[in-house]
Amino acid sequence: MRTLTVLFDANCNLCCRIRNWLQAQTKYVDLDFVAAGSAEAAARYPLLDHAATLKELTVVSDTGEYWRGAKAWLICLWALRDYRGWAIRFSSPELMPLARRFVVRVSSLRFRFGYHGT
Amino acid sequence: MNHIVVTYVLYITVSVALTIWVAHTLHKNGRVFLVDVFHGNEALADSVNHLLVVGFYLINFGYVSLALKLGYSVASAQEAIEALSSKIGMVLVVLGGMHFFNLYVFSRIRRRSALLTAPPPVLPDGCTMVREPDAAGQMPYRQFQIR
Repeated sequence: MRTLTVLFDANCNLCCRIRNWLQAQTKYVDLDFVAAGSAEAAARYPLLDHAATLKELTVVSDTGEYWRGAKAWLICLWALRDYRGWAIRFSSPELMPLARRFVVRVSSLRFRFGYHGT
Repeated sequence: MNHIVVTYVLYITVSVALTIWVAHTLHKNGRVFLVDVFHGNEALADSVNHLLVVGFYLINFGYVSLALKLGYSVASAQEAIEALSSKIGMVLVVLGGMHFFNLYVFSRIRRRSALLTAPPPVLPDGCTMVREPDAAGQMPYRQFQIR
């Protein structure tokens, strides 16, 4: 795996801020950012459910595997040099439910931090 | 020669011998570990191994010479042996501490290199088709690639 494409919500301030943070990190795997639901995303992944990518963060690898929600967050962390250890720790059966709850909570709150979409 | 000089000479001899023995063990057995960490790059492993052993020698000899002074006089052979024993005991404890610290450094380097090749921690939710623009900006269909 060489590149991971992150389909992020370009209308959400929090998501854009997280994208900027991710871009600034040192990486093991390159991260490519494409706005979820955009024409480019549709052209790249014609068979993906694009309505779902606006609800949950989706990450697609260059070989076509995709991850959604908490798993997608963990994959983003796994791509970063300084946070790969954390990603592996949080993917354990004990901590995964916690990570999932946290991600659901943040995702539902993200509209509060400024949202300029429809 | 009085007792104290004999104590000092014995202390230096035993401490130096112990340091050399521990450093030699570390050098000999640490190499395999480092070669594995550096993915078979033996030149780099030997270099790092040598640098670690040099640091080990410097710290231990430094400690041995700083801790040489006894600070009280020794009148009998019994007191000389007691003083020698406590001094060498301290050297052994410091050597042990340094040795475990070195092992910790080795395992840290190893863990770091294990992370580099770690597979994704979670299984994908599915597989989709990927189209990427080629050099001409066209979007050719690409076959599914399932690992």
